[in-house]
Amino acid sequence: MAYTTFNRNNFDTFAQPMFFGEHVNVARYDQQKHKIFENLIEKQLSFFWRPEEVDLTNDRKDFMDLPEHEKHIFVSNLKYQTLLDSVQGRSPNVALLPVVSLPEVETWIETWSFSETIHSRSYTHIVRNIIPNPAVVFDDITQNDYIVRRAETVTAYYDSFISLSNYYTQLGEGTHTINGETIVVSLRELKRQLYLMLVSVNVLEAIRFYVSFACSFAFAERAKMEGNAKIIKLIARDEALHLTGTQHMLQIMARGKDDPELAIIAEECRDDVIAIFLEAAEQEKEWAEYLFKDGSMIGLNKDILSQYVEYITNQRISALGFDPIFEGRTNPLPWINAWLNSDNVQVAPQEAEISSYLVGALDSEVDTDDFGDFDL
Amino acid sequence: MSASASSRKTPRVGRRRWVKSKTFFSDAQDELTLIGGGATQLEMDLFDAYSPSSDRAPIHTQPIPEPVEIEQGDLFGYLAESPEPTPQTSFEGMEKPSFEVIFSDGRNARFQHASSLLESLEAQDVHIEFQCREGYCGSCRTRLIEGEVHYTEEPMAWIDDDEILPCCCIPKSPLRLQ
Ligand code: FES
Ligand SMILES: [Fe+2]
Ligand SMILES: [Fe+2]
Repeated sequence: MAYTTFNRNNFDTFAQPMFFGEHVNVARYDQQKHKIFENLIEKQLSFFWRPEEVDLTNDRKDFMDLPEHEKHIFVSNLKYQTLLDSVQGRSPNVALLPVVSLPEVETWIETWSFSETIHSRSYTHIVRNIIPNPAVVFDDITQNDYIVRRAETVTAYYDSFISLSNYYTQLGEGTHTINGETIVVSLRELKRQLYLMLVSVNVLEAIRFYVSFACSFAFAERAKMEGNAKIIKLIARDEALHLTGTQHMLQIMARGKDDPELAIIAEECRDDVIAIFLEAAEQEKEWAEYLFKDGSMIGLNKDILSQYVEYITNQRISALGFDPIFEGRTNPLPWINAWLNSDNVQVAPQEAEISSYLVGALDSEVDTDDFGDFDL
Repeated sequence: MSASASSRKTPRVGRRRWVKSKTFFSDAQDELTLIGGGATQLEMDLFDAYSPSSDRAPIHTQPIPEPVEIEQGDLFGYLAESPEPTPQTSFEGMEKPSFEVIFSDGRNARFQHASSLLESLEAQDVHIEFQCREGYCGSCRTRLIEGEVHYTEEPMAWIDDDEILPCCCIPKSPLRLQ
């Protein structure tokens, strides 16, 4: 179905599914089929922040004082975060906007993607502050094997969907010969790819990002790189909203609350979903190995981070109505909740340090149990 | 409500206020002592004490006010589950509701004064995961086996029909949770 920027058809909004129905015409929010997306938009708007408002001057000194292996952990983690947000800043728009059918969903996608561009800009702010030549960091993102390998998985579902969806938009369903190549376009296959793509997006935002957050906060837990942690707190607040948005999309689909065919597809895809979660978890564990290859840091090592990967994977997959896939049921990094919470983030330079003191559970006692049994 | 709780004279600290020391490695001096003067004062003291631009002495070198007698383990309780210092006049037959909350693994608590179920549980050392504490992230998602809750703000995170978000609800009846 050819894309039109202003659909003149008369249609019943409430009869449209989220995707692959009529193209949206009037951006109106008086009628909402799925009000949750309006709530998400409002929440996201209320979160607006700018990276430049967070003062990072102390981080520069902290960074210079870090031992080499911790510099490696910090910079590699940052590269990975940069990659993930580069993908998220554009892909939901490119993939989903041409096929979306409800105004509130369309606007949620745009609002969501916009917030990712803030995340990307904040990485430049961070890198500029700690490294004289930021290009050294950014150029490596497309060269570094460990990052590229994960980038491929992260983007594969997006790219495959976008490619098929482009054919669908231009040529419609059917078997087409393009440059001597046979292309089969079916709406059902597109919907299947849409569903799996959203699962992989959820894995990106709800698992991969949280693994990287754990690394950022492990520095701050030792009072290092606290400006950075403050930015990451703001990013984590946004990501919590994004993952909720995607969970809603997936559950609306799986429960047939929108497009009955998608409920059937979701049922058929259950094994694929588990495979996507498992693959991501394995990759994140490999990544943990790379991060800590030259040495661990206080409070975090390969094993604890891998346990966290399993824990967070269980949490996220069960939110989609699946059984947990790993053994561990308790959070091996209990201190992370306090960092993930943004209750006390005040964005103003002179307050750059305060949020690290005024967050988290009332727990002013050192409890060695909280560290689990990590080794250095 | 225990007798010791009612005799505490320090005002209840305002809306949820959890205070965490600097790091797990902080020394004993860093331990924050709750001080009188109410929420605003407490917040200001903490804020100023750690603000880099502050010329006030760090909090641990300030004269430490008379500590309020709090048994350990009750420290959470003091904040979230202690009664208002100036409660509304109570009438017979209109007591504040108080509900038992039991987990299938045996952990239990009593919801009385806290502003959310999550805070109440934390106050009684029942650990629940959290991130946003405002109903949009889903971290606190918990299965409700029996009972009813009232949402104090609209929950946004996706939950199943038999699940609740303790961070933004309070019990309307005794609860059984998993
Ligand atoms: S802590 Fe986020 S929904 Fe309850
Ligand atoms: Fe992001
Ligand atoms: Fe995101």
